[in-house]
Amino acid sequence: MAVLGIPILENLYPSTMDMWPLEAKEFNRNWQFYENLKQGRFTTTKCKDCGLVSYPPRVICPECYSENLEYVDLPNKGKIIVFSEEVKGVPLGFESPLIHAVIDLGVDPARRVLSRIVNCPAGVLKRGDEVQLAVFPVPALPIDKGKLGTVMSERVFFAFEPVKK
Amino acid sequence: MARNAVILAGGQCKWGVREAHLVDLFQEAAKACLNDIPTLKPKDIDGLIVATSYAGRCSFQVNTAPVIAERVGVKPTSICTRCDTLCAGGSTGIILAMGLVQAGAADIVMVAGGEKLYTPQKWEVFYSELASVDHDWDGVHGMGLPPPFFALTAQEHMMHYGSTKEQLAAVSVANYNYAATNPVAQMQKALTLEEAMSAPVVVPPLTLYDCCPITDGAAVCIITTDEIAKKFTDRPLVYIRGTAQVCLNSVSANFPGAHLADWKHTRIAGEKAYANAKVGPGDIKVAQTHDCFSISEVIEVEELGFCKKGEGGEFCGSKQIELGGKVPVNTDGGLLACGHPFGATGIRQGIEIMKQLQGRARHQVKGADIGLTHNLSGANAEHTVLIYGREPVK
Ligand SMILES: [Zn+2]
Repeated sequence: MAVLGIPILENLYPSTMDMWPLEAKEFNRNWQFYENLKQGRFTTTKCKDCGLVSYPPRVICPECYSENLEYVDLPNKGKIIVFSEEVKGVPLGFESPLIHAVIDLGVDPARRVLSRIVNCPAGVLKRGDEVQLAVFPVPALPIDKGKLGTVMSERVFFAFEPVKK
Repeated sequence: MARNAVILAGGQCKWGVREAHLVDLFQEAAKACLNDIPTLKPKDIDGLIVATSYAGRCSFQVNTAPVIAERVGVKPTSICTRCDTLCAGGSTGIILAMGLVQAGAADIVMVAGGEKLYTPQKWEVFYSELASVDHDWDGVHGMGLPPPFFALTAQEHMMHYGSTKEQLAAVSVANYNYAATNPVAQMQKALTLEEAMSAPVVVPPLTLYDCCPITDGAAVCIITTDEIAKKFTDRPLVYIRGTAQVCLNSVSANFPGAHLADWKHTRIAGEKAYANAKVGPGDIKVAQTHDCFSISEVIEVEELGFCKKGEGGEFCGSKQIELGGKVPVNTDGGLLACGHPFGATGIRQGIEIMKQLQGRARHQVKGADIGLTHNLSGANAEHTVLIYGREPVK
């Protein structure tokens, strides 16, 4: 498929136009976060030396600069503190309504995580509503492997969704 | 002997939706700047700091400084570089130029900021905004375009402090009316409270006039020392008395305040800049604060100490930001009405404060001797404050 106005980009993937993270191991030392998401786990890194839990995950501890980190689970459920709903003029890549919420997952450092809310029509959400992790597939990452050709690396991402009552 | 930094001159091109290339806008603004100081020639300038964030995405141009140097006829010998702090880029450039001229590493520095944001296909600039915030953790949630984030901020301010939609609208009205006669502003129309209150919804509670537009534009100023400045001008000198730039987080989940309407980083930036400038909030006669949204100005007047925390809505709603009020704010129209070509905004603010302190602003604040500029950038991730005065810090 040609890119309008730039015929040389036919069938080529420009990562500079990719709205999703480069999640693959080849491009991201925090690839484990995304692998955990695929198992339905919302995780981050904890420093095994000083005990600090950081969000988002790191490759060094921002407190003591240790590289001795491990993945720990964050809660999959939380409560909405405040939310906004965008119905008209939703930007490319997102569907209307585009709902954002500050969510309290009840533990540090995840007491005010800003996330998109999916699987929810406009006008039904309320402050204090319970939401849960929602993991969904996003387009695979095409990685040029030289003689092996292009390998498609599966990707997922997350949002939160209302807990069905 | 200490070298004191001053802002010598400044100018900007017409801001708005421009039928022009990025380098055209920089040339127009450089000409406007040197028109403001006819004794200064391009050959007198030994340093160039270019502030642009979207050149890389919207004009396919990185390493912008040499490109701009050549186009504006400057041949730097002390510094030729670009800085990128998005909405604070212009202020960052002024701070860096101040440090260089104070240290003696440069003598006369041109600080030039600008963006060409309207691309041939409209989707691209909106889509590229995903890069304005932490891409993998906030952009990916659709937080690139800022109205949802500031809608949440406005809601929390209303929840915690009882500010009202009408008080937000008062900010838009004041700033639009300041810009109504500004020939280089993007929006040059008077606005009534009724119009502001009945405008189309963007993201509740924000409506059309609560949000700054997307803008093409450039602005240029000259930073030098007081001793050098005296060779070029008889105007009152405007000193950069104190500055601060504070960054406590990037990802929104790590926002430093207790909630989105509690701007701890703004507070720290203000306190540090006041201390460096040896003045207090009560000394500020005129300010240009970062009104990317009406709610931003409401919170900024609180956190910068012009009123008590939580009383920003009342402050703005009772005309304290207008001429004759306690601290006239955004007297050239601010971001809401001038527009916001990111890297140019801090320079536009510095130029307006320079004119106010020289007694030649369009909406002149009588006796203005100390002025302040403020920027926020990213998903409210960084705050930058500069304090200007008619006298150097002693
Ligand atoms: Zn540690």
